[in-house]
Amino acid sequence: MQTFIETLAGGLMLGALYALFGLGLSLSLGVMKMINIAHGDLIVLGAYLCSSVMQALGAGPLTSMIVVVPAMFGIGWLLQRLLLNRVVGRGPLSPLLLTFGLSIVLQNVLQEVFTADTRSLQAGDLALHGFDIGGVSLGLLPLVSTLVSVAIFAMTGWLIGHSHWGRQARAVADDPATARLVGVDDRNFFALITGFVLAVIAVAAVLYGIRTPFSPTAGPERLLYSFEAVVLGGLGNVWGTFIGGLVIGVAQLFGAKISSGLGPFFGHLVFLLALLARPQGLFARNAR
Amino acid sequence: MTAAVSIDVPQPAGPRMKTLKLLLLGMGVALLVGLPWYASFGTQRLLVEVFTVFTVALAWNLLAGYGGLVVVGQHMFVGVGAYALFAISNKLGMNPWLALPLGGAAGALFALASALPMFRLSGPHFAVGTWVVAEMMRILALNSEWLGAGGGMPLEALGQFDRWTRNAGVYWAAAAVGVGALLVARAVLRGRLGLALMSVRDAEPAAAACGVAVQRAKLALWVIAATLTSVAGAVAYMNTLQVTPDASFSLNWTAAAIFIAVLGGIGTIEGPILGTLLYFLLRESFAGYGAWYFIGLGSLAIATMVLAPGGAWSLVSSRWSIDPFGVQRDMPQP
Repeated sequence: MQTFIETLAGGLMLGALYALFGLGLSLSLGVMKMINIAHGDLIVLGAYLCSSVMQALGAGPLTSMIVVVPAMFGIGWLLQRLLLNRVVGRGPLSPLLLTFGLSIVLQNVLQEVFTADTRSLQAGDLALHGFDIGGVSLGLLPLVSTLVSVAIFAMTGWLIGHSHWGRQARAVADDPATARLVGVDDRNFFALITGFVLAVIAVAAVLYGIRTPFSPTAGPERLLYSFEAVVLGGLGNVWGTFIGGLVIGVAQLFGAKISSGLGPFFGHLVFLLALLARPQGLFARNAR
Repeated sequence: MTAAVSIDVPQPAGPRMKTLKLLLLGMGVALLVGLPWYASFGTQRLLVEVFTVFTVALAWNLLAGYGGLVVVGQHMFVGVGAYALFAISNKLGMNPWLALPLGGAAGALFALASALPMFRLSGPHFAVGTWVVAEMMRILALNSEWLGAGGGMPLEALGQFDRWTRNAGVYWAAAAVGVGALLVARAVLRGRLGLALMSVRDAEPAAAACGVAVQRAKLALWVIAATLTSVAGAVAYMNTLQVTPDASFSLNWTAAAIFIAVLGGIGTIEGPILGTLLYFLLRESFAGYGAWYFIGLGSLAIATMVLAPGGAWSLVSSRWSIDPFGVQRDMPQP
């Protein structure tokens, strides 16, 4: 029973991180109708950036976010302005192929600059502390990263529902031509969205890098987990992505209990089974 | 050729042209078949790669360019075909050349099974969803003791053949698969299925309204492409004598296919031919540069997508109107 609760708690907390991976993917799919194959590689890029900033400034991983998050926002803004905007209106498959090429370039640039060795972000005390609640031990770090994830989801949900940008995002998602007609500068707006997506990625990347060692080729797996969270949750539903991430995280940890090498396999399996049972996602918006 | 498609009338060639064509074709076949007698083992092994990678790229291009089914997990079929061949040949003691069609059959069956969840997704979701399936197969093979786990397994039956026979045999198999794939693609595109697919690609609702069974056409294409890919995968690993999970279920296969199709021209039959030539030309010249080679390759694909989305073949066909495979369709002249 105790191991069950520990595994469940661990899975939920891992899932909250996957959800944070998926949030950016969900936004770019929802607003720009494009899937970014380089999403996972950008997460790894964020982790390497954090590692470099930590080395240069001698700061901890959380402090280095002050530099990494704005830097990633800038990279996202430039990426959309210079590259992705050229293909974004051309059907959903051009961006897919373009970002596929970008993924290969990014992986190899990372390998050339940082070598193929694995790295991790040292968080010092934060990674070591833990609680003991009724015999169930929980790490402080996973708990912090879960709280951060919930906070970012809440903020994003509020931005979409109540802010000026959120209204623009929903308008562009529903009908880009009409949105343009009433004065939304969609090219510039897309750049802002991708900037925001990469800022979220930066936070997720730092939390990920503290938790797990990473290497230049770790990106594609992150993309798949993000993707599963988004599809499981249902499109156009931010909190759905959050629940989808939790489901994948829990499935992976229970799978790893069955056989240590099969954790990700069970995550994928649950994804396929859920797809067969509810192709529209667990929490799809049923309207329209 | 099917008579059902009335708008598909190839230009009748004069008798002299026809003899010339036949003569050239005969010379080409003789050069191709006779290669083991005049070329080194190294050349043969390179050509096996060329033919198998070409077949995978052609299948990817059929799916993406004609069926609107962009796939990122096509390597699942490479691995399934290779593992099916190795398992059948090793466990049953079967001649690997005779087991090759079974590798294709395994791919076709796997395509049918994977269509169950995958065809519930569409567009970019389908693309990434297939990647999830490929990744699952890799993890399964990696954890299966019966299939040799991480180290994979050798193709034992090949030990009884001498080196020349083995190399020539694998080369002939690869050449047959490559040329066969081209003929299959041509037959598909000239037939009813091709017409249905192109109408679906251009306007799915309109095609459905005209009575095209959209899902059935896509499923048929999915199975055909899977069969081609898994036979190619099986031959490719006959060439290396050893199959491993990380190599056979590797994204590199799909990456090469996508690169070739994008560079050559998506949605044309000539594109993959041109793309394969370019790909191997670049690889043989620059692969020594390691990571920089892949950075260049990826950048080239990005530049092509942005500047010339039709690929290299569009640069040719925009200047000269040629249709060497007779697969283009024109409105009937009144």
